[in-house]
Amino acid sequence: MLSDADVAVKLAVYRHFAGTGRRPTPDEVAAGAGVRTAGIAETYRRLREQKVLVLEDDGCSIRMAPPFSGVPTQHEVIANGVTYHANCAWDALGIPAALHSSATVRSRCEQSMEPLRLEVGPDGPERSDWLFHCAVPAFRWWADIVFT
Amino acid sequence: MLFFRSEENVRAWCRAEATPLRPLVRIDQLWGLAHAWYSTRLQPIARRPSPAEMRTIFAGLGLTGPFWDPEHDPD
Repeated sequence: MLSDADVAVKLAVYRHFAGTGRRPTPDEVAAGAGVRTAGIAETYRRLREQKVLVLEDDGCSIRMAPPFSGVPTQHEVIANGVTYHANCAWDALGIPAALHSSATVRSRCEQSMEPLRLEVGPDGPERSDWLFHCAVPAFRWWADIVFT
Repeated sequence: MLFFRSEENVRAWCRAEATPLRPLVRIDQLWGLAHAWYSTRLQPIARRPSPAEMRTIFAGLGLTGPFWDPEHDPD
């Protein structure tokens, strides 16, 4: 169960990603949530337990705040003039869903490397015969979420 | 969780990676998943779906079978 302060930190993280397309520093999160930077790592640990964040080994750099990626990936999403990176194909559509905004998704076919450009409107993506494939069953998604 | 241009390409990738072919998901179904998971993500009420809710979401999109069971490993 997350406290009100934990929720404030979570929202500060997500709003930073949404506004800038990049991961926030602990200082930026603390300022956004109105809390002290010294407690951010402990809050991040609780958010990781709730499968809200995925952290780098240092415990205070955000690798994933799904659908946003804290590091560059092959899944690029452009919305409202901001460029975002998504963790996976699912999250590439998750970013316009989270933002409630039209977007352009740029990715690729993992086999042929053919580029994908997909326009997403307020009600979803344009018609497309591309496919999504996940190699890991739902039961194991969070066993290694970076691999998934 | 990857995009592919065609089923043929998925099959070729699975052979190359020595990984089983899993259910193929259309882009409109993927949007349903993305919307269900993330449309409230920037709001205070946001939370992950429970296993029961996940089953309902998957079934509503026509995604059924052991692969989509969040509580049992099909392998």
